[in-house]
Amino acid sequence: MPDTHFYRYDDYDRTLLSERVEQFRDQVRRRLAGELTEEQFKPLRLTNGLYLQLHAYMLRIAIPYGTLSSRQLRKLAEIARKYDRGYGHFTTRQNLQLNWIKLEDAPDAIAALAEVDMHAIQTSGNVIRNTTADHFAGAAADEIEDPRVWCEIIRQWSTLHPEFSFLPRKFKIAITGSPNDRAAVRVHDVGLRLWRNPEGQVGFEVIVGGGLGRTPIIGKTIREFLPKDELLAYLEAVLRVYNRYGRRDNIYKARIKILVHEIGVEKMREEVEAEFVQNKDTSLRLDPQTIEAISSQFAPPALSHRSAVVGAVEALKLENRDFALWLKSNTAPHRMAGYRIVTASLKPAGAPPGDASSAQMEGVADIADAYSQGEVRVSHEQNLVLPHVAVEDLPAVYAALERLGFAEANVGKITDIIACPGLDYCALANARSIPVAQSISNHFASLAKQHDIGDLKIKISGCINACGHHHVGHIGILGVDKNGVELYQISLGGDVDFGKTSLGDIIGPAVGADRVVEAVDALVATYLERRDEGERFVDTYRRLGVEPFKERVYATV
Amino acid sequence: MAKNLSGDLTVVSANRLSDGVVVFLDDSGHWTRKLELAALARDKRAGEVLLERGKAEAFSVIDPFLVAVSEDDDGTIEPLSLREKIRVAGLTFQVIASEAVRYA
Repeated sequence: MPDTHFYRYDDYDRTLLSERVEQFRDQVRRRLAGELTEEQFKPLRLTNGLYLQLHAYMLRIAIPYGTLSSRQLRKLAEIARKYDRGYGHFTTRQNLQLNWIKLEDAPDAIAALAEVDMHAIQTSGNVIRNTTADHFAGAAADEIEDPRVWCEIIRQWSTLHPEFSFLPRKFKIAITGSPNDRAAVRVHDVGLRLWRNPEGQVGFEVIVGGGLGRTPIIGKTIREFLPKDELLAYLEAVLRVYNRYGRRDNIYKARIKILVHEIGVEKMREEVEAEFVQNKDTSLRLDPQTIEAISSQFAPPALSHRSAVVGAVEALKLENRDFALWLKSNTAPHRMAGYRIVTASLKPAGAPPGDASSAQMEGVADIADAYSQGEVRVSHEQNLVLPHVAVEDLPAVYAALERLGFAEANVGKITDIIACPGLDYCALANARSIPVAQSISNHFASLAKQHDIGDLKIKISGCINACGHHHVGHIGILGVDKNGVELYQISLGGDVDFGKTSLGDIIGPAVGADRVVEAVDALVATYLERRDEGERFVDTYRRLGVEPFKERVYATV
Repeated sequence: MAKNLSGDLTVVSANRLSDGVVVFLDDSGHWTRKLELAALARDKRAGEVLLERGKAEAFSVIDPFLVAVSEDDDGTIEPLSLREKIRVAGLTFQVIASEAVRYA
């Protein structure tokens, strides 16, 4: 198996995990013996990522910055098979959820995770959650710097941070190292964008107070350029201001976005900068040795020279139209000529978005070992990524993914739908998401049709908490419950790509579950009729506005 | 025909502590996975009493609560809300099996 090219746990990390496993084992034992009430136990299980959903417990496993080794992915498959029902759900926060874990098995599942340096700590609760990153990090052609170095520094700083263990509400950080934001940084509590200033220095744009959920807000920039070594001092200042002033009296007004909205970005900046002055020359300033020690663990793999144009690939493109479409939609430019980044679509026609069986996870791990330096990434769009695939290996990778059912040429297309688990699993949901996604996926299954439609992102949430990111879907679909009936509210024009973050506009009254596909069909038909050359769906919407789309939908449904 | 759609008919449900499975309180104060064996409260006061009993028997379950149900002429009980129907019947779509690869 190839060495990993990302952070490897040291003795400190492993000791922390093993102590945590034993603590949790004892907590579970005491709960099952009746020595702890549910009220006492609930915060303990939640801080270890164990939720109670409609039918069972769910374990949310952190996948730091969405990066996995093949060994870790195999272990996830094994845990899913041994302690769950043999499949898992990759989420919009680059995590994995196992939906059928038994409480009595949870300590063993967590111990198995620790064997491969993984855990479920801080995947719930009012704490700093798993920091997410561009899923092409370390491989993308447009990358300025690998954001995972900084994610790892944040992970070490934020894990079990005593001051930030009881925040007003959960806190999510995302980092992108590319100008083309693939990490949705403007809809996080803190978004960090690495960029190079006119003096040639690389630092962070710090964006605060973004978020989706009940009150969607696009984050505001409070620092245009932050030197990298000041990252933790600045983040600590942001968190301290939030911890001090964030509301704790109303759960719906407790996120930092509400604080920023209420006091205004200028006041927020003032408070953070004042706090930062106190912090910046303390031990929170990152010394060059620390940065170097972490950076060196993310050193890019030594990729051998490979040809960028391969006769066999060109020939297969002509022979096999699906392969040609797959190359177009499911592979992306790599920083090194002769390589591509491959996205394995977890959205074959009619499948629950983001779900993978244990056998499929093992299959992807095998492909990663054979063709991608043993590395896999999880995208917030609920797909898996093979970051370093040689062009000449693309036919073999395509064939291997096809055997797994993960070679659908639909990345970024209408069936590459983001959907939360919805009312089928989730105790908070009002309506189902997965069956709606399946209906749309089946309706638009034709690859030729999908590629004709072009880039179109549908995002579905089963409740206002917006785990399916519906606010930023080109077409957003929100499930609501009206007098016991599932209805779906449709919004248009949301986006998070390429720095053009925008929130969707609701087009009108919600439609019944049996009318969602017709409504989407009407939207697509309007676009196809009215689009200009080269326009994506969302571009046409921005040019024409809501009226023609709305008119067509309500004439249809 | 379903009757008592006003929500006066209720049963007590909870999730089992050991594995989270959906359970219902039966007439003898035990927890059962079968809705058809659930004790049925026919008015609001009876529901309150049944819930108190459920809470008293909650050692092996989590957070008992009342579920509004309907009852057919043949005595078949069904939850009124979609959420509770899903809790009883399970997922409304087919999941992928552990060893499945989709086109194998």
